[in-house]
Amino acid sequence: MVALDDVYFRALETPRMVSLSPNLLGAAFPLMKLMPARYILDRAAADGALKTGMRIVETTSGTFGMALALLSAARGYRLTLVSASSLIDAKYGARLNGLGAQTVIIEDHEGNGDQLRRLQRLEHIRREDPDCFWPRQYDNPGNALAYARLAEQLVRTVGKIDCLVGCVGSGGSLCGTGTFLRAVFPHLVVIAVDTHHSILFGQPAGKRLLRGLGNSILPGNLRHELVDEVHWVGAYPAFSEARRLLREHGIFQGPTSAAAALVGRWAASARPGARVAIIMPDEGHRYADTVFDDVWLASLPGWPCPLPSEPRLLTAIEPASDADWTRFIWGRRSLDQIVHAEFKKEGHSH
Amino acid sequence: MPRIGIGTAIGHHGELLQGVFEDRNGRLHRGLVTLPLTKLASKATFTRTTSTALIVYPDDKAKAGLAARKTLDQLDVHKGGVLHIESDIPIGHGYGSSTADVVAAIRAVAAAHTVQLLPSRISQLAVAAEQASDAIAFDGQAVLFAQREGVVLEDFGGSLPPLLLIGFKSSGGLPIDTLHLPLARYDSKEIQQFRVLRALIAYAVRYQDPNCLGCAATASALLNQRHLPKPHLERVIEIADGAGACGVQVAHSGSLLGILFDRAGKNLRHRAERVATAVQRFGFCDVDFHQINDDGAKW
Repeated sequence: MVALDDVYFRALETPRMVSLSPNLLGAAFPLMKLMPARYILDRAAADGALKTGMRIVETTSGTFGMALALLSAARGYRLTLVSASSLIDAKYGARLNGLGAQTVIIEDHEGNGDQLRRLQRLEHIRREDPDCFWPRQYDNPGNALAYARLAEQLVRTVGKIDCLVGCVGSGGSLCGTGTFLRAVFPHLVVIAVDTHHSILFGQPAGKRLLRGLGNSILPGNLRHELVDEVHWVGAYPAFSEARRLLREHGIFQGPTSAAAALVGRWAASARPGARVAIIMPDEGHRYADTVFDDVWLASLPGWPCPLPSEPRLLTAIEPASDADWTRFIWGRRSLDQIVHAEFKKEGHSH
Repeated sequence: MPRIGIGTAIGHHGELLQGVFEDRNGRLHRGLVTLPLTKLASKATFTRTTSTALIVYPDDKAKAGLAARKTLDQLDVHKGGVLHIESDIPIGHGYGSSTADVVAAIRAVAAAHTVQLLPSRISQLAVAAEQASDAIAFDGQAVLFAQREGVVLEDFGGSLPPLLLIGFKSSGGLPIDTLHLPLARYDSKEIQQFRVLRALIAYAVRYQDPNCLGCAATASALLNQRHLPKPHLERVIEIADGAGACGVQVAHSGSLLGILFDRAGKNLRHRAERVATAVQRFGFCDVDFHQINDDGAKW
């Protein structure tokens, strides 16, 4: 007999495939983070590192925490999540509480997620309860390994893929999927989508309005050498694209999915002979009162504003405004190589 | 009531894919996808006798004899017979000579008792007789087959797309006793990568796409280098790429290598001959052309 709880969560972590144009395939997830969460917990349970009744602790801005909360409820783990006040709204917090998760909220007045203080708090909890399990989504190789399932789904749907577009937060989804696809398609182009004031691809940290991608610390699961090109999408083009996806395709996904779709659409029209796949991590419900609410949007400074129809090519990495969309040819280099090259360029210009 | 049954079984050119795969309950199994070759075959003739003795010719076909005995047991027959095996499949290079003998023997015994066994039953009997078997009982039907359990992990729902295979052996490639090879141990990254290879084969069969098949075969050949390395595999892949081939395939526990071409490709003869010359110049031997699933069309 097939274990039905596994069947349920496997279905919930499986994306719905959507064709956005003849050469553009979207993998639209209800809750993408269930894929790494389930893989990491399954491995830990198989290794004996995680047993029923044990406590799981993690620092998360939302969807990975939601995935852990669903699995913990079904499998009898206790869960403590450390998040920041700018990242978690009352309804989401209530849903997590309803799943039996304990949430610890750090006040981050600057709105940058304050990952460092969250990690310090997590360390404190682990010292008090040394027998707990920390999935470490940022650095656990299992996060990236889990996405072989996504690579599998994409290949079963369209066969060969020439270009992969996805947002980066922990690096797991893009780098995991990209690694497994490039092993069979060596010429695969990997395009990373980030947002302004995220440090992942060399920008200085700062307040970010677009959440669910970007980071204020550097996760171990981000492998810069896989990436051919980086796009920084501001909140406004992403919000606008989320509305367009709903209005023109009937697809109700969050703004992170929209940022990937925006870049994917551009990549697909720039490469008409290539098949482009985009990763769309979560649904729009969580943003019903914000991105999908006209009154909320109108309250944003400068909204509505003219939005770019294509990205501006940068020759040097620099932040831009939330109305901007920029790109940079990364060329499969390491972060060190890029920072070094940028430093040298500056040296010449002065 | 017939007293004589005849059974045949084809050989293969090793595997397109071999690794570890999930069943539908999420449990992992060793599995493979065979590349069948219809022009190599083993033929078994079984003659029923009234005694319980089972006599096998030639007498070194012990596994085929064991398979015949297990088939008799399966059919609940308490008599014996005489089993003759004639095969033109070379032994020990990965052509599947042993499984072909075993499957032919099972089919011959069944035919002598006017029984036709399902491929799944034949596979289980074959595994019972020789520990590890391949998917040849399924003939042209592409399946992901658990070679040590004799069960199908995934039926790809059709046949492989039409291909031209340029097969060859490592120079001085000695026969390999597969049962005495240590079992390959795969790490979690490899196990996850096998998902994508499996997906490529599923797509290749469903949409008859030889390029996806070739991608899977090349990746599987590269993953196998850690277990039974083929000398100069990287060079063979370069030769294949240079000729616009779909990919490179190996016998994962044998000495065979093959370059796969889309049967519908342009200038096929020219490209195939160029590849044949290139691998020969590089020291590979026994170069042979095999038509796969093209209904024997002229090329």
